[in-house]
Amino acid sequence: MEIAIINEDMKMKGKKVVVGIFTYVDDAIKAITATKESKLDYDVYSPTYVPDLEHAVSDKRSLIGIISIIGGLTGLTAGFTLAIMCSLDWPMRVSSKAIVSIPGFVVIGYEWTILFTALFTLGGIALLCRLPNPFRKVGYHESFSRDKFGVVVGCDDDNIDSVKESLLSAGADEVLVKEGL
Amino acid sequence: MSTEIKTNEEVGYSEVSDTVLKMLEPPTAGWYVQLFICIALAIMGFGCWVVQVLYGMGVAGIAHPIMWGVYITNFVFWVGIAHSGTLISAVLYLFRAKFRQPIYRLAEAMTVFAVMTAGLFPIIHVGRPWVAYWLMPYPNERALWPNFRSPLLWDVFAVSTYFTVSSLFFYIGLVPDIATARDKAKTKLRKLVYGITSLGWTGSARQYKNYVAAYLIFASIATPLVISVHSVVSWDFAVGIVPGWHATIFPPYFVAGAIFSGVAMVITLIIPLRKVFKLERIVTGVHFDAMCKLILLTSGVVTYAYVTEFYVAWFSNNMFERFQFWFRPFGEFKPAFWGMVFCNCIAPLTLWYKPFRTNIAYLFCISIVINIGMWLERFNIIFTSLARDFIPAAWGGYNFSWVEAGITVGAFGWFGMWMTLFIKFFPAVAIMEVKEVIPAPRRDGNSDH
Repeated sequence: MEIAIINEDMKMKGKKVVVGIFTYVDDAIKAITATKESKLDYDVYSPTYVPDLEHAVSDKRSLIGIISIIGGLTGLTAGFTLAIMCSLDWPMRVSSKAIVSIPGFVVIGYEWTILFTALFTLGGIALLCRLPNPFRKVGYHESFSRDKFGVVVGCDDDNIDSVKESLLSAGADEVLVKEGL
Repeated sequence: MSTEIKTNEEVGYSEVSDTVLKMLEPPTAGWYVQLFICIALAIMGFGCWVVQVLYGMGVAGIAHPIMWGVYITNFVFWVGIAHSGTLISAVLYLFRAKFRQPIYRLAEAMTVFAVMTAGLFPIIHVGRPWVAYWLMPYPNERALWPNFRSPLLWDVFAVSTYFTVSSLFFYIGLVPDIATARDKAKTKLRKLVYGITSLGWTGSARQYKNYVAAYLIFASIATPLVISVHSVVSWDFAVGIVPGWHATIFPPYFVAGAIFSGVAMVITLIIPLRKVFKLERIVTGVHFDAMCKLILLTSGVVTYAYVTEFYVAWFSNNMFERFQFWFRPFGEFKPAFWGMVFCNCIAPLTLWYKPFRTNIAYLFCISIVINIGMWLERFNIIFTSLARDFIPAAWGGYNFSWVEAGITVGAFGWFGMWMTLFIKFFPAVAIMEVKEVIPAPRRDGNSDH
């Protein structure tokens, strides 16, 4: 069985989007399972992080850890390089310590490891979460940030009814049809 | 103690959103009065600083031998306050402590604003603040570079990294909640501002997957960062050979002290906030009970550190160390020492008794007492050690001045001003994460995610 790919861009495949608004998470999970089987493009919204919902959508792990590690290694290298290069450029001996005094430079390397990890992680969030996104996705409903779960399905005119029926039978409180992008 | 937030099981998603967002409604007269007082104090502090810039450091009471004086005491105090915010947030996140959720946002805000306050003091203390940027390594016409072997430069790197990372951690945590505020905003201006600051967050499955992973990474790096930064601050002292400073116990002692004072500051801030904004069902007795236990633990650690310092001074048979630790309880600054012992070691012991832990008025008072004690602790470390160095000819006292008192009080105004503005314009309780610990609603009623 081919699984529908979770929507990654502003656009959804299809001319229309059908928005299913759910009160209960288990109903939303049922709708996700049914949408996956229909091979349609879809997206899921929730007012908070719900692990069960995430597992229903995809079990793939985030790539953000790799980006963070690259940042950390960059920071470690940059921190030591900065301290060593500056000390060599101004070679003044202090309290009989070596000009390149690695124990003292560990602090700089350590702090910049963390600093660059944070900055790269921030970049990772922007990249992977598609932020900033000034134009919110089509199908987004304001109740999703308050207390409702949303399953938004992209479709064409000829299968709107079947998608609506599928979402309602899963337990949607309300189903809206909007123009796609 | 069970960390289950039993009261919260009765609270639904919508109630959390509505209760917290109610805090953002147009301010009352009381809020304006509070803001006015804070701004007035900050302006007063700024005025004192202008006097110091015009007439020189002499007006601040800074003189040999206590050249670090009140300003560095304030710096360490505010850095300590700052550290516990991220510790509460990051460490408790890693340990999955559920009592963290309603309090961590305020703790993180406190962190960011306390670092902004702490960062002012080295600049105020350098005397010529307009050349404070010399501390940063930058290419210049004299081909000079700062000394990377100095703990003071480590401080620059540590505190600037800490400010950057804690601000990012704070902001990233805020994004989903600003989006909730955006969706409920009634005015166009609010919609626009929240729309921009929420970066267009929607709470999609894709966003949550990456967000949760990123947040865990932030918590994982913030924890060692906090420990390292307060250790670096302690090395400002411990790397020197001054009696009373040259001790290996300083880093853990400072870190424990930071958590101790920071948790107390969170209690001081959250009690009035909870009352004014009617957050009793979100910030419950369970949270105060857990924070009190953290205070008891860290109070025990700092008390142990105080005793260890005296023991090591005696056991070392070093006359300078022994004299220093005789001078602290019986010398010129003995009121500060005994005040510290009372506030940090004796007063918190009352929290072993549950009725005190659940008495909100008492907790408010004890939290202020603890912060006075922690300021006195930094005062003791700096003043007594510098006042009684190795050579009696170099000994001396200190003349406190109205300028440094004004700047010290002004710093509280500056900190209070930012906190007051923050609680009115951004969600001061983490909406998304409070919802996360509430079982998700299920049709079959089996909420066991």
